[in-house]
Amino acid sequence: MADFGKTVLVSALLGLATVLVAGAASAQPAPAAAPMDGETMFTQNCSACHQVTGKGIPGAFPALAGDAFVAGPPETVAAVVLNGRGGMPTFAKDLSNDEIATILTYVRSAWGNKASPVTPAIVAKVRGGDMVEPPKGSIQAH
Amino acid sequence: MVESSASSLSRRAFIERLGGIGGTGLVLAGMSALGFGIESAVAAPPVLSGGGGKKVVILGSGVAGLTSAYELSNAGYDVTVLEARDRVGGRSYTARKGTQLTELGGEPQTCNFDEGYYINPGPWRIPYHHRAYLHYAKKFNVPLELFNNDNDHSYSYFDRGSGPLNGKAIRKQEIAADTRGYATEMLAKQVNQGALDAEFSPGDKELFLAYLRSEGYLTGKDFKYVGTEGRGFITDPGAGLNPGVPSKPYALTDILHSNTWATLKSVSDYDQQRTMFQPVGGMDQMPAGFVRNLRPHIIRKGHVVEKIAQDADKVIVSYVDDKGQRGTVVADYCICTIPLSVLRSIDMQVTPAFKKAISGVSYAPVGKIGLQMKRRFWEEDHAIYGGHVYFDNPDISSIAFPSTGWLGPKGVLLGYYQFGTNAAKISAKSLADRQAFAVAEGQKVFPQYAENVESSFSIAWHRVPHNLGGWAEWSPDGRKESYPILNEPDGRIYLAGEHLSYLTGWQEGGMESAWQQITKLHKRVHA
Repeated sequence: MADFGKTVLVSALLGLATVLVAGAASAQPAPAAAPMDGETMFTQNCSACHQVTGKGIPGAFPALAGDAFVAGPPETVAAVVLNGRGGMPTFAKDLSNDEIATILTYVRSAWGNKASPVTPAIVAKVRGGDMVEPPKGSIQAH
Repeated sequence: MVESSASSLSRRAFIERLGGIGGTGLVLAGMSALGFGIESAVAAPPVLSGGGGKKVVILGSGVAGLTSAYELSNAGYDVTVLEARDRVGGRSYTARKGTQLTELGGEPQTCNFDEGYYINPGPWRIPYHHRAYLHYAKKFNVPLELFNNDNDHSYSYFDRGSGPLNGKAIRKQEIAADTRGYATEMLAKQVNQGALDAEFSPGDKELFLAYLRSEGYLTGKDFKYVGTEGRGFITDPGAGLNPGVPSKPYALTDILHSNTWATLKSVSDYDQQRTMFQPVGGMDQMPAGFVRNLRPHIIRKGHVVEKIAQDADKVIVSYVDDKGQRGTVVADYCICTIPLSVLRSIDMQVTPAFKKAISGVSYAPVGKIGLQMKRRFWEEDHAIYGGHVYFDNPDISSIAFPSTGWLGPKGVLLGYYQFGTNAAKISAKSLADRQAFAVAEGQKVFPQYAENVESSFSIAWHRVPHNLGGWAEWSPDGRKESYPILNEPDGRIYLAGEHLSYLTGWQEGGMESAWQQITKLHKRVHA
């Protein structure tokens, strides 16, 4: 089943490539999907648990607003997104370094947070050459 | 699986060569045969007796807690179960008319299916080798029925590939027949040309060719794949002068670029194999079976654990009940089946190493949605009875049809089943938007989909109070460092649940973990 999971990921990448090629070739290219802003990406990927307010749910999902950890060293924060922690899944396979950097930069500046931006280079450094194993989970998990 | 002999090297070389000839599909099929599944190891509960009235407090009434309660009660222990919810069963759960759920940060939801219709939002299928589950099904007279986990006539819908089959619903029988037909044809050609002679012992070659012909439905003399009845007919054979109109294979290149071959395996993963079962009437019938066989009043529902303390002689569990009353239960021992995702936030008097180990696991975000359909168009119009439609869109992953109520008036199907970050993403949507998303994707496969939707019930397990995740996901490091610690008691506290098994996410893991831990506890009492 793990095989299938990887396959699906590969085909997802293939699909993306096709879209980009098609976009480039057409006479009036549809506006290339503008890179999403940090707030939109946060809402999509993170808000189910951490809430759009960044306040989380006490006892279940940590608050990101006004949180010392979130405002701490960017490497440590990026590591949590890449590796997961506690109930949080790894986003290493689903989000690029650029996307993680954009989301974290948003999180570190929203809701009154005032921490330095996170660059894609920092995320890349933390990610290193060692890809995190995707969690077991695929089309037929349980 | 330690192999170092020359034969394993030669097998690897063989598989690599398959890659050169038949594409990655054959390599994957070959590799999966080298994998190994994890078997449920114990066939019957421990035989315990002489509990002598020792008090045991059990936290949680999922299958691990219920198993512990049943076996320990029978062995003469004085058992109390604290259950946070107003129902028993934990994730062994069925949503039907009136079922209410409010996820953390979510809107209140009431299931509005018609009487008699349901969805199992948690566990939903029981493999034949989950012997503890089957043991209790027999013991408690919980009737089972077959769960159809594989359907030759169902579809795959892949739209992230390319070519004419991309974005089309294709029957599994067509994908399987064509992929294996072409692959075996090519392999047979190589064998007949002598390209693989070095791989064969005397007499092997003819047998291998015979296998390829059988596997791929190749023609008798020249080992060609020209299609086969099993991939289906354009017009089915019938009475009188109708021999049927055979279907024609797709082109190999079209199959390959559709990526649908990724749904094929030489054999299903061990935990996905036929035969599979489900309890008649819903997954909650097993917890109900336990309750029928427990002494009354030992389960105290609506009791949320706030603190677990212990000293040299006893365990003291503090709770708050659904009327806001606080209280404690004092016992000699505790079996705690609370998911680690929840337990990590509970005040617990254990060693720092134990506490740290509890945080050494992550939990899977998991999402499901049940859709009640006005009529069973998948059966009536598509001849699909149970099984799954696979998607390469991981936000859907699969649609699954009910293995019950065949040919009835209505049905509840599973509209998506996604994991990890995809589950995190979909769960951020409102209930209405989750349904709209599921329906739009299903509509791509079935033109009848949207017009038949009557109501839905969705769940995102990572947002469900008292669960905070679908199941435990141990990393290799976590298995090495944290897992062994949690399998041993800390003082008088024993943990049990699917998270303390190699069958994570299966009820069997919870039951067998309970068997293991109560055996340890019992040995200690009698030491």
